[in-house]
Amino acid sequence: MTPAISVTGLTRRYRGQLTLDRVSVDIEAGSVTGLLGRNGAGKTTLMRIIAGQEFASGGSVRVLGASPAENDRILRRMVFVREDQAYPDFKVGDALRAASWFYPGWSGELAGSLLADFALPRNRAIKKLSRGMRSALGIVIGLAARAEVTMLDEPYAGLDAVARQVFYDRLLADYAEHPRTVLLSTHQVDEAAGLLERVVVMDRGRIVLDAPADDLRGAATRVSGPVLAVEEFTAGHPVWDRRRMGSQETAVIAGPLGEADRAPARTGRLTLEPLSLQELVAHAAGPPAPYAQKKVGA
Amino acid sequence: MNTCVNVARCHLLQRFSYLALPWAWLAFALAVDLAIFALIPIGHHGVLTAHGLVQVQNAGSGRDAGGLTAVVAVFFALGVQSVARSLPFALALGVSRRSYNTGTALLAVTLAAVYGLALTALQAVERATAGWGLAAHIFRVPYILDGPWYLTWLTTSVVLALLFAWGMWFGIVYRRWNLPGTLAFAAAQVTVLLAAALLITWAHAWAGTGHFFTALSAAGLTGLLAALAAALLAGGYVTIRRTTA
Repeated sequence: MTPAISVTGLTRRYRGQLTLDRVSVDIEAGSVTGLLGRNGAGKTTLMRIIAGQEFASGGSVRVLGASPAENDRILRRMVFVREDQAYPDFKVGDALRAASWFYPGWSGELAGSLLADFALPRNRAIKKLSRGMRSALGIVIGLAARAEVTMLDEPYAGLDAVARQVFYDRLLADYAEHPRTVLLSTHQVDEAAGLLERVVVMDRGRIVLDAPADDLRGAATRVSGPVLAVEEFTAGHPVWDRRRMGSQETAVIAGPLGEADRAPARTGRLTLEPLSLQELVAHAAGPPAPYAQKKVGA
Repeated sequence: MNTCVNVARCHLLQRFSYLALPWAWLAFALAVDLAIFALIPIGHHGVLTAHGLVQVQNAGSGRDAGGLTAVVAVFFALGVQSVARSLPFALALGVSRRSYNTGTALLAVTLAAVYGLALTALQAVERATAGWGLAAHIFRVPYILDGPWYLTWLTTSVVLALLFAWGMWFGIVYRRWNLPGTLAFAAAQVTVLLAAALLITWAHAWAGTGHFFTALSAAGLTGLLAALAAALLAGGYVTIRRTTA
């Protein structure tokens, strides 16, 4: 399958600083990908360049088979709503009306029901909206556009937990009926985990992890118990992290564990728990970890 | 092309700015001018108003005022804001900078033509009412706006489009380089004018230059301004090509 987004050796230098450092990644058509990483990792810059809003210093980006920069034919099939999206002096309804003109697949029905879900009044001036409501407006536009390539940068900054759940549910429901390529950056990793088919983690301008989300579930295990038992159990496994408190030790080991691997845990009074996606991402995006350079299961 | 028309429609969603503001501001300026004229008996000398010195040429030919500059100034402001806040939203909706620029220029030319026609109609009213009953010349400007109606229409349209285009370029420069860039841009324009003045002085060409302008008809000047407007739009386009939002 040809990727919907194909990024090769993308570099972005800004005032001597490398915001993107030879980034290469392919995003398959018809998938939901999470772009994760700490603040300043380069997520927004990457998305902006993919959307043709920012320019690369080197490398190439192809979206739906062509370069998106100033390419109307490609751009009109994309939507990219940013966390800090600036709007003209519009009311909520004006912004939706304007957006509807640019997207052949625009669903007024979906926009209307999302407005109701988020309790967004159509006749409210956008500049009077709270941060959360502004985010909600971005979500309404991003989803109702039904653009082939939908990119959302921190779409729910400032939204409460209930509204975030509404976003997950509505995205999944609409995505099932109208498949498209969704690229979504977020800090709420575990919340969004159920949504993501693929996870791309960035750190300091580089991609440090790129894997199907399913492969990551159980990709690492936390082992805790008496020091000796833990030492014995983890021998032969790659260990990412090891912490000792008195006679107790907690270690994180990489790689999936089979039934046979787990057996010694029962006798050694060890507790095994899989690392959550959030913890995996934190490991990948944290201070240099040896495994960080490797692609897990890709 | 469709995208460009949609960009223009997008701007017009800001109904108050584009449809009400120019006329509200003009109505205010007109009221000020007429109020002042009503206070001074016809035939008296100049008086300082909100629009500068109101001159009395002579009792017979009427009194000039600058109310018209109000609507022209609004067009400059509309041009500035057409880019500053709307460009990021257009880019989010997958509009290219080129389409955005063309669509906004399309809006500028259309608005200028429609508003130019309205100003022409107001000029006709002014003529028919002997200067609003006060011998006022607000929509009639000596030399440039005192020809036939179609020439008035053409000239006002060109001037309005020119100011919009100028404002647009300022807006783009601000979007791209913020305040320092905008100030440098303004300084560059002053420098160009200064350089031209110096060149003319060194070449002892002031007489020739003066002759060029006195010999220029109103239609010729309009053509010159139209060329300038086109140059400003082109400059804006070159600047917006690599503007990020």
